Amino acid sequence: MSTPATARAYGTEPARPVAARARGLTKAYGSGETTVLALDSVDVDIMRGAFTAVMGPSGSGKSTLMHCLAGLDTVSAGQVWLGDTEITGLRDRELTRLRRDRIGFMFQSFNLLPTLTAAENITLPMDIAGRTPDGAWVDRVIDTLGLRDRLGHRPAQLSGGQQQRVACARALASRPELIFTDEPTGNLDSRAGAEVLAFLREAVDSLEQTVVMVTHDPGAAGHADLVLFLGDGRIVDRMERPTAEAVLERMRLFSGARPSPGGAPDDVLRKS
Amino acid sequence: MLKATLRGFLAHKGRLLLSALAVVLSVAFVAGSLIFSDTVARTFDRLFASTSADVTVSPKKQIDTALPSGETPTVPAALAAQLARVDGVAAARIDAAVSNITIIDAHDKAVGPTTGGPTIATNWYVTQRSPVKLTSGHEPRGPHEALLDKDTADKKKVRIGDTLTVLAGPGSFKVDVVGIATFTTTNPGAALVFLDTPTAQSRLLGTADAATSISVDAAPGVGDDVLKQRIADRLGGRYELRTAAEQATSDAAQLGGFLDVIKYLMLGFAGIAVLVGIFLIVNTFSMLIAQRTRELGLLRALGADRGQVRRSVLLEALLLGLAGSTLGLAAGVGLAVGLIALMSLFGMNLSAAEMVFNWPTPVAAYAVGVGVTFVSAYLPARRAAKVSPMAALVDAEVAGSGRPLRVRAVVGALLGAAGAAALAGCASSTKASTASSLLGLGLVFTLIATVVAGPLLVRPVIRVLGGAFPAVFGPVGRMSQRNALRNPRRTGATASALMVGIALVTGLSVASSSMSKSFDQQIDRVLGADFVIQNANFQPFPQEITERIRATQGVGTVVRQRFAPVRITLPDGRKADTAASGYDQRLDDVAHLTYAGGGTAQALAADGLAMDKTYAHDHDVRIGDSLPVLFSSGQQARLNVAALTDMNQGSGGFATEGALFMGLPTLERYVPGGQDAAVYVNAAGGTPADRLRAALKTTLNSYPQVQVRDQSDYKKLVHDQIAVLLYLVYALLGLAIVIAVLGVVNTLALSVVERTREIGLLRAIGLSRVQLRRMIRLESVVIAVFGALLGLALGMVWGVAVQQVLALQGLTAFAVPWSTIVAVAVGSAVVGLVAALLPALRASRMNVLAAIAHE
Repeated sequence: MSTPATARAYGTEPARPVAARARGLTKAYGSGETTVLALDSVDVDIMRGAFTAVMGPSGSGKSTLMHCLAGLDTVSAGQVWLGDTEITGLRDRELTRLRRDRIGFMFQSFNLLPTLTAAENITLPMDIAGRTPDGAWVDRVIDTLGLRDRLGHRPAQLSGGQQQRVACARALASRPELIFTDEPTGNLDSRAGAEVLAFLREAVDSLEQTVVMVTHDPGAAGHADLVLFLGDGRIVDRMERPTAEAVLERMRLFSGARPSPGGAPDDVLRKS
Repeated sequence: MLKATLRGFLAHKGRLLLSALAVVLSVAFVAGSLIFSDTVARTFDRLFASTSADVTVSPKKQIDTALPSGETPTVPAALAAQLARVDGVAAARIDAAVSNITIIDAHDKAVGPTTGGPTIATNWYVTQRSPVKLTSGHEPRGPHEALLDKDTADKKKVRIGDTLTVLAGPGSFKVDVVGIATFTTTNPGAALVFLDTPTAQSRLLGTADAATSISVDAAPGVGDDVLKQRIADRLGGRYELRTAAEQATSDAAQLGGFLDVIKYLMLGFAGIAVLVGIFLIVNTFSMLIAQRTRELGLLRALGADRGQVRRSVLLEALLLGLAGSTLGLAAGVGLAVGLIALMSLFGMNLSAAEMVFNWPTPVAAYAVGVGVTFVSAYLPARRAAKVSPMAALVDAEVAGSGRPLRVRAVVGALLGAAGAAALAGCASSTKASTASSLLGLGLVFTLIATVVAGPLLVRPVIRVLGGAFPAVFGPVGRMSQRNALRNPRRTGATASALMVGIALVTGLSVASSSMSKSFDQQIDRVLGADFVIQNANFQPFPQEITERIRATQGVGTVVRQRFAPVRITLPDGRKADTAASGYDQRLDDVAHLTYAGGGTAQALAADGLAMDKTYAHDHDVRIGDSLPVLFSSGQQARLNVAALTDMNQGSGGFATEGALFMGLPTLERYVPGGQDAAVYVNAAGGTPADRLRAALKTTLNSYPQVQVRDQSDYKKLVHDQIAVLLYLVYALLGLAIVIAVLGVVNTLALSVVERTREIGLLRAIGLSRVQLRRMIRLESVVIAVFGALLGLALGMVWGVAVQQVLALQGLTAFAVPWSTIVAVAVGSAVVGLVAALLPALRASRMNVLAAIAHE
């Protein structure tokens, strides 16, 4: 993997502008003998207007990558940019503002404040910022996600799928540069999960949003434009216009032949 | 199961810390007050037992009232010789001791305790029982020599050779200090002056033929009781006879009153701490159980039965109680040491080394500590036992408590109605005793009702209170308001702790400001004199002061007031012990009295008596009745009821029971040798009040025990006395607030832990630390203000009810201390801010990622 080929960033596609990028992104936990590298000098570009999935087995560093790109976690080495802003080295206050104004989040569960209604949850980031939501846009998001008749409900009165749709709407409502979502379908049944993925797809296609999704579900990754495969803290492969079957196949290969430094099987690196 | 419980207890010990603190405070006050009063009791038991004579012969005391006539009851001095001849008497000595004197130094400064202890002058003789011994100088000999006790001499820097003036009842006299006597036992806080026996008799009692008591020593082999019986056989029932043991008990009882005040005050503190602590502990356990629902569900799923779960929670409470009680006991010892040190400031030298630690102290400490914790944890434990095994499998619902509040509504409404009925009954009652018991009942019922129904009030009140939050503070305000609303039980219980303290202080300040206002009105209405000269407590002062006042330039009318304890037999058969006043003839010039029958002239005529109209009516007394009156001197008289006053002051306030008064000559006839308790002075024509005041001040310079007061000074004196009561209340409130703040901190801290993921989410989507802190602060403020409002409302109701009871005693005015109430409301918001400091800091320091991942 330390061949010259990996010096070029995965996901690079010069035709489209970059929403976020990382160079030499390294994240280490612990120190000395017990150091664990969660991310090992990762270079990545996230294209604007695309739906990017990040896949990998547990412990591959996919969530850490997302957290570092989103400014939720600090990096040990390397640089991260959101648009033209370098976010490595920003203080907590600036990071908070950046997350609030330029990034949308959707987690696996517990996305909503139980005390606020669906509508209040959706506009929360803008309320916190003291900005007036763009009414027409929010309406469009709400209608796209089919939440019109659920706006006055509290999270406890919504189903899991509905809750994730509200979370999705919240992530979209402020029209952020980038939406990060971590296993958004992890807690949902397959029908509700498919619905949420369809909405994310819709957000990219019709609402021209940029979405980065961390998942270990090949079916979910099949909805993306591009899948990045992570293993042991490095990006080991990419797949454009994936299908669930192709992703599943790729994952099988991974689990059958776990990459070892310097000795990854050829087919792992083969482009699809 | 035991292991799981112990692990659980240790794992949550941080979260139990504040509850433990509440237990420690309650136990510390209980233990401290017990240790202190035991120590004091033993010290004085020893002192009195070792200093009392085998048998003491003293004048019979017939009537006990707080207002003495100022005359010193005596026995004939010749009695000593008579007693010496009784078989079995080794020695009989004359005692000539008075405690109502004042001593001043060359600069007219009082030499003696400034903290309420008596200044005692007595005759000097040395026996084995003397509490003092001569340590320097020589014994007093002759009319101009005296000893002073060492404590007083040191404190007031008096040395041998200094000249002091003794202001005694019969007149003041100068003495030279010729020696210093040192206490060999505990000094109970008095100043002592010793004279030789003839000087003490003539100067203090006014005659060499009198003694205040005779101390009799038994011959070897003669028991005190036997000797007492022999003396009783010889003297008959004319005198009071006490053995050493009886005398010690009686002395201790007199001192006991003062010590009881301290004891009850401390127990009051303990009570408040317990009451408020209960809310805190209940809340803590409820929250811990809510947070551990899944864990408890898992235990249940693994086969633990309900009893085991309940016992495991109760065992945790037991451990908390034991730990808290042990620490509290230690803190109580510290508190007792502090109190003992405080007492030495008051001149009472107790030795902390001799601290008494009786078995009831630890028993009471552990009973309170463990009992309170156990009782408080019982309901949460029952709730824990009801957790279903399914809870382990589904996501724990921590957001809100969905259980309906219907039972609370019903119980609260019933208790509230009962309390309101009792208070209404108290307000409309015309008998003070009925009104008081209804008041007590009403207070308890309304308090419980408010505590029970508190959670029901959370929604409506906080909606209104926090209604402006979203507008003022934006989404942060909205979230705070919703957070305060999300678990009404928790918010209610947290606020209740604050409510109790604030309700108490509001009720008492309404009552006390009503009292102040009533007294002001009475002073305005009744007091007609330019100046009143008296000491602070209506204690009598020597006659020469009155004479000096009369001789002062610019003094016009002078009316003296004296008290006499009397036992009056009323037509309905009741015998009332009270104090009657005696006034000079020109009473109308210095007071505005209104009468329902008769007038000042009739009342002050020979053997005349004035009585309050209502009192007379209650006891079937009519004008012209002749009532038997027993005076403290032992003289029996029949006085004619010649006037009925209509002062609308019932039997309370300034007035003594029945508001009896008579002419000073009448009083003097039955109680000779009394002292004036107050002198009312009007300026002579043409003398401005200012000049008279200056002249009086000069005159009275060498009599530091009395002060010159005009109407406004007099009001201030009364206000100050009421204020002393208020300060105690404020101290109680302070403690209640400290614990209530602990409760708010506790609730917020546990809420922050509970909402870790929520906070992580908020931070992830862009809530800044400042905003997060503000959110928690606002929640805290809204809870605190909610508690304060409940407390103010409840306290107002209490205040009105108390005022109604006071009105029955003539204190009819009603006043609301608005400044106090505004201060309480504002203060509660500050309390909220302070309480939120740590939880907010903790929340804002949370790691965003760890918080999101938190289970």
